[in-house]
Amino acid sequence: MKRQEFLSIIPGLAGISQARDWNENFPTPLLIPPYLKKGDKIAITSPAGWITLEEIQPSIKQMESWGFVVRIGMTVGKRDFSFGGTDDERAKDMQILLDDHSVNAIMCARGGYGVARILDRLNFARFKEKPKWIIGFSDITALHLHVERNFHVASIHSKMCNSFPDDYTMADPVVQDSILSINRALTGSSMKYNAIPQEQNRTGITSGILVGGNLSIIISMMGSDSELETNDKILFLEEAGEYMYSVDRMMETLKRAGKLSKLKGLIIGGFRIKPDDPGEEFGRTLYDVMYEKVSMYGYPVCFGFPVGHQKDNYALKHGMKHLLTVRKDVVELSEMS
Amino acid sequence: MIIPEYLKKGDIVGIVCPAGFMPVDKVSECVRVLFEVWGLKVKVGKTVGSQYNYFSGSDDERLADLQEMMDDPSVKAILCGRGGYGTGRIIDRINFKKFRQQPKWIIGFSDITVLHSHLLSRYKIASVHGPMANAFNDDGYLNEYVRSLHKALIGKKADYTASLHPFNQTGKGTGILTGGNLALIAHLIGTPSDVDTKGKILFLEDIGEYLYNIDRMFYQLKRSGKLKGLAGLILGKFSDMKDTEIPFGKTVDEIIRDIVREYEYPVCYGFPVSHEKENLALKPGLVYTLSVTNKKISLKEK
Repeated sequence: MKRQEFLSIIPGLAGISQARDWNENFPTPLLIPPYLKKGDKIAITSPAGWITLEEIQPSIKQMESWGFVVRIGMTVGKRDFSFGGTDDERAKDMQILLDDHSVNAIMCARGGYGVARILDRLNFARFKEKPKWIIGFSDITALHLHVERNFHVASIHSKMCNSFPDDYTMADPVVQDSILSINRALTGSSMKYNAIPQEQNRTGITSGILVGGNLSIIISMMGSDSELETNDKILFLEEAGEYMYSVDRMMETLKRAGKLSKLKGLIIGGFRIKPDDPGEEFGRTLYDVMYEKVSMYGYPVCFGFPVGHQKDNYALKHGMKHLLTVRKDVVELSEMS
Repeated sequence: MIIPEYLKKGDIVGIVCPAGFMPVDKVSECVRVLFEVWGLKVKVGKTVGSQYNYFSGSDDERLADLQEMMDDPSVKAILCGRGGYGTGRIIDRINFKKFRQQPKWIIGFSDITVLHSHLLSRYKIASVHGPMANAFNDDGYLNEYVRSLHKALIGKKADYTASLHPFNQTGKGTGILTGGNLALIAHLIGTPSDVDTKGKILFLEDIGEYLYNIDRMFYQLKRSGKLKGLAGLILGKFSDMKDTEIPFGKTVDEIIRDIVREYEYPVCYGFPVSHEKENLALKPGLVYTLSVTNKKISLKEK
């Protein structure tokens, strides 16, 4: 979207916009969707992979126990091979939920693949008028990047319906806490996260808008209207199931595209690396690969942050300002008001 | 566009491995053919047969070898031994100053797509997308594909045909050729090596990818404007495609058809450019005419 169009659409936000300088060099006001109160509505949809109604039951129960009303989108239970319905069906379901002002948050049922196929069909006009929380990760990274880049709307990067344990009380405490962090983020708690300090971290204290998500998805958005913007931002990355050479190639792309040079900080979450094929040993660790790309910059870098395709995957507020502290003894990310 | 000088008998071809490791015995037949059959001299680079983990050498070693071949005025063309992965790691460290004064053909495909695209986007220098050293083995040098490389290097203009395909979109278009390996083309988007495809004929091939990833990459090309306003689209072979546990539900040709059917320009499928034996030499940077009818496919160099 052209900047002019964007400006013309937001007279309702005049109070915010007039207080700021709209020059490109100045940060655009961030739009934080209203936090949820008891009785508010969370809708579930499948913009990517397919899921059954049965599989989302634990998440419905859990979200109802938090005091929310759960609405089930029409793509739940729909299937078109790997997708949660045809492109038309997935786009329509998402569009209805984006447009319906009685829906306060949209929880994506699962990732997989499919958001890129419907993204350009979605009309965000009503969403911009009244932003709401979009929740998910992995393939949903495409939505986070899109709403951050185009509308500066914050969203929640977190586990989805398919990660809610069947028997919550028996679940690993860290899974329980990761799930509970979604509720904390949605209801407006100021978020704070700690990671275990690693020797390879690069220390420093920094602040900036938090952006990122799944590395493959970030790369597949390059060149599009949903491309990641990283200047003056704290970037977090996670990946699952890629070879190390592929991670290296994607990081080279980010570097060569100038996405790593003006960061405020870099947060490396879970990277589940596919083992090298015999005779094709890449010979580099994740630390090697990352520092080859960012050793020339001075910002703090931390590894092993609890975000990714893993048990400890805490809800992060994508698009909101955070303070990152990386010390020898402490790694902490905290939301700034 | 800058077209390097075509080769004459007795010219020297340098062989380097800017990406993956290649055992020296896989290159020896290529060296023999270049010398005995094609009448060329060969300068074998230090990265041929050397190994550093996955790579044919450290970044510094691979860079130095390629740089030396590029800067050596006696070397008239550079044949890459193989692809793999690694060219993208050294591309921004290459000094093109001497090369621009004396451009020479750089030959390869797969990971070498990075060089083809970089030469085109930054310096408007043509190069050769075609068979590499391994293709010469097992009498491969006798097939029409490796022979097409020889013809391309000595300046014979290409006039290729391909089999008919039910998904072909008829039409005729003329433009500068660009393209190569789909994954590499996708990974170059946003970088200094990214080629503006408007008005050009784009060719793409790939190997060993998941079907969903082919779909995702084509959506990236589409969403980043790479498929809009082409003079034509040439789809090579997409070999050894993998599927996920839950089937994607389409063949690779169907995936591509569903994304490109909205465009008016000519599109042909199954063109002999690939990681397999069928890999005709193409010159990114030169002007070609693609003609697709219900009876005949033709790709002709201007």
